[in-house]
Amino acid sequence: MIVIAITALILGVVCGQWLFPADWSRWIGILSDYILYLLMFSVGISIGNNKFVLKKLREYNLTVLLIPFGIVLGSALSGFFCGVILNMPFSVSVPIASGMGWYSLSGGMMGKLAGPEAGAIAFLSNLLREILSFLLIPLIVKYLNPYTAIAPAGATSEDTTLPMMIKYTSEDVVVLSVLNGMLCSALVPVMTNFFYEVL
Amino acid sequence: MAVMVIMLLGVLLGYRWFPERWGKWNASIQVICIALLIFSMGIKLGSRENFLSELTQLGWKSLLFALLSILFSVIFVYWFSEKWIQKTSQKTNLGEEQSDLKGERL
Repeated sequence: MIVIAITALILGVVCGQWLFPADWSRWIGILSDYILYLLMFSVGISIGNNKFVLKKLREYNLTVLLIPFGIVLGSALSGFFCGVILNMPFSVSVPIASGMGWYSLSGGMMGKLAGPEAGAIAFLSNLLREILSFLLIPLIVKYLNPYTAIAPAGATSEDTTLPMMIKYTSEDVVVLSVLNGMLCSALVPVMTNFFYEVL
Repeated sequence: MAVMVIMLLGVLLGYRWFPERWGKWNASIQVICIALLIFSMGIKLGSRENFLSELTQLGWKSLLFALLSILFSVIFVYWFSEKWIQKTSQKTNLGEEQSDLKGERL
């Protein structure tokens, strides 16, 4: 995904800067409305179709929800802080922070909803979150506890950062990591939309 | 609002009728849509006149978002896990049933 996402971004910038006439961007804006609708419909299908999470949630007790809850709470709260520090509206800063590491979806959605600058920050900040997670996971396992190592990874704890969890934690933490990633991934589009519209 | 309604319709379709074997196609649609949205965001970014000078500032802002979101997430999860999960896992042994999960995911 990283190759596709970065290639799409660079190609877009090159086309916008040098190749496309200015009036094309209006048409691209209209077209991207429909692309966003299709994407949201497709993401919805994935969420609804994922019976695995429901099954696992019934097997474990509710304490497993504490990890995604902490990540959601921490991410949203950091959005408010960033909004204050950077003098940015909360309707933009909180959805950006709600990307929880899923840079491609968050960048694409915020670029469409709140404009290209917000989209670029969403893309870059969530990409940085993923990269920093790789570095932080071993340190957090060593100095805090293995459960907390899931926290920086956010929505990526089910796929891209999972190998790090497998390497540095035990099997029960890996299960929690996968569950957390699935829940956070489902929440990213919901929170992004919700905070953008409500705040 | 329209976006939320469309997503909810998707959830309903996925839960009730969508065959799981079509999941791969659905995932491909997501990749294509995301790539197109990022491409169109890139076009809008690139068509700004002072784009390159803005880039450094965007970088610093992004770094702040990344660092604070990690920090706050770590604080809450550490607090919750020390207070509740560590104790619960000692009592119930969470690690009993992960073999089938590993087979499916890895």
